[in-house]
Amino acid sequence: MKRLNRDSIIAIALLVFCGVFFWASFDIRTPNYGVLKPSAWPRVIIGIMSFLSLIYLIQSLKGNPNIATAGKSDREPGFRGWVDYWRNPLWCFALFFVYLALLPILGMLIDGILFVYVLMGVLGGWDGKKPLTHAYIAVLTIGFMWSLFTFGLGVMLPSGIFMDPI
Amino acid sequence: MVVDNILAAIDVLANGHALLLMAVGVAAGLIAGAIPGFTIAMAVVLTLPFTFGMSAHLGLATMVSVLVGGLSGGLMAGILTGIPGTPSSVATTFDGFPMARNGEPGLALGIGVWSSFCGGIISAVLLMTLAPQLAKIGLEFNPWGYFMLVMFALTITASLAGKNMIKGLIAGALGLLLRTVGEDEAAGMARFDFGSDALLGGFDFIAVLIGLFAFSQLLNDVRDPEKAKKSLTQRSSIQIKIEHRRAIAEILKRWTIVVRSSLIGVFTGILPGAGGSIANILAYDQAKKASKYPEKFGTGIADGIIAPESSNNAVEGGALIILMALGIPGDVTAAIMLGALLMNDVVPSPSFISDEPVLAYSIFISFFIATFMMLGLQSVMLRIFVRVTKIPMYVLASIILGFCGIGVFALHNVGFDLWTLLWFGILGFTMRHFGFPLVPMILGVVLGNIAELNLARALAITPDLTPFFTRPWSLFFMIITIFSALFPMFQGHRIKEKTWTLFYLPTACFAVSLPLFMMGGVTRPALAAFLFCFGTYLLWQRKQNGWRYKA
Repeated sequence: MKRLNRDSIIAIALLVFCGVFFWASFDIRTPNYGVLKPSAWPRVIIGIMSFLSLIYLIQSLKGNPNIATAGKSDREPGFRGWVDYWRNPLWCFALFFVYLALLPILGMLIDGILFVYVLMGVLGGWDGKKPLTHAYIAVLTIGFMWSLFTFGLGVMLPSGIFMDPI
Repeated sequence: MVVDNILAAIDVLANGHALLLMAVGVAAGLIAGAIPGFTIAMAVVLTLPFTFGMSAHLGLATMVSVLVGGLSGGLMAGILTGIPGTPSSVATTFDGFPMARNGEPGLALGIGVWSSFCGGIISAVLLMTLAPQLAKIGLEFNPWGYFMLVMFALTITASLAGKNMIKGLIAGALGLLLRTVGEDEAAGMARFDFGSDALLGGFDFIAVLIGLFAFSQLLNDVRDPEKAKKSLTQRSSIQIKIEHRRAIAEILKRWTIVVRSSLIGVFTGILPGAGGSIANILAYDQAKKASKYPEKFGTGIADGIIAPESSNNAVEGGALIILMALGIPGDVTAAIMLGALLMNDVVPSPSFISDEPVLAYSIFISFFIATFMMLGLQSVMLRIFVRVTKIPMYVLASIILGFCGIGVFALHNVGFDLWTLLWFGILGFTMRHFGFPLVPMILGVVLGNIAELNLARALAITPDLTPFFTRPWSLFFMIITIFSALFPMFQGHRIKEKTWTLFYLPTACFAVSLPLFMMGGVTRPALAAFLFCFGTYLLWQRKQNGWRYKA
């Protein structure tokens, strides 16, 4: 047996996840009709998933090369290296989170344009003519999509507090 | 009856509006398929929001068109840049790119396009003929059989989807579990809502699909800051004329490769979880093994383009056969099609073709029409492809992420769906990174409630569990589930010549013959007798070899 590796930690996290869901399954009410209880099927799945996660844990502790997730990467060690390596996806998550948080205020059109514009700047840089080009692209593409859904398909997209409902 | 349905379907699709939508779909699919990093599934799933305002016939015809276009688009990038546009065109680059570099890019593209066309047509014909027949068999399934069929689909997908089967099975179970969040369909009780009103409605299936597949894929594409800023090609224009006549002549000379590879494609598509990425390599390998000049493969020969391109276009016909006949999606794109059907309140099941004949036949007919359109649009899209590939990946990813937001919200006008998109995007990205295949999870999400409803139906008929073992179809699927689960272990141990592997195939033959005998009639018991004899022969042969594979 080897000490805990990344796969072991994932397996333990999965077991904890199963535990949380198993615990939550006791909150499911049982009606006095039907043969299959509403909690039965989820519990079967949780049971299977726990069993599989246990096998995964044992395999990872035995050092089974087939399950190893840790490939060689060009990542620098430490937290700084981790952040640098995952910079772009982290920016995407963070900006999408902000985009969703601001959606009720700015509305789909303005928020969408700002999201695409800032994301392009963060991923592609702000040098030279890029800010202007990115602005054109963001306005044209999101403007087109918004118009298509609003006028073409008749969808009521969030208008925000700055735009009257169309 | 069949002719009436075909005519009714043609009537629905033979108008300017439908044909225009299909042409746009094929064109969009060709471009999406041509851009490395963008998968066909992503293109199809992103088409869904556009189709919600359309009738089911038009929406599905548009999605089928994107699918057909995407299947053929991969060859443009593969042949011209050496980078396959989609995983299903990996083998096309083995000979397509060398042929283009040898000064014949027009011929390479022509062979690719016409092989795709032939594969698509053969697959469409098989789809139209096999799906209704298979659906008749599907009508024999009872809830026990249907439940076990879902279990089989999940197990085989997990065993084929990744390096490690345990991870595939965990992903499938996770999909099933996440599908249970919200009100259960049988009793209407809240499950795993953790006190949140939003979770009470469950996760929207389409938002989950877009998050898991499109969102996470885009983040993967821009992970490397340097690569994200680069475009696929720096070429400003392309002066290639597709050589149609020479390509047709080359293909006609090798029609056996076309037919064999298309059949490989269709049958790979029928198998849940095994998609175009497996079929194109398999077809290429078979073409090489059957060739009189295998040493020439990889140097830029026509055979090496025909085999993968015929097979990858035929795959989707196979996946649609299973979806339309049994209601089980063969791959992710079929799962998305199932989502589109559900969006239109159509629940695919063995009775789908008989209940909704016009819709079913409009899918068949649109597959045909889209294949013809692909042929015509390929030359036009070649020019646009060069322009699109000049756009850096980060620009494309940003725009598509923005579009994901609009598209997902537009589906139900519910803000929670956007949060679902984000959380499942993060989950998909993390799972990819840790080596968990996404396909079993998606199938788990798609098939979760089908499995539960059939289990509930089975138990409502009788709380006894023995019908799972005594009903022929249930037993049949249970046996092949067990053997497919053991298959990866068998493969690994077979190389090491472990003794138990000698008994795997004979035991499988004996076991499968049992439910076939139980089914009655003439054909199935005859098939069972054949399997039994074959299993016995294998055992005898191995005994003669001294319980080894070779004496």
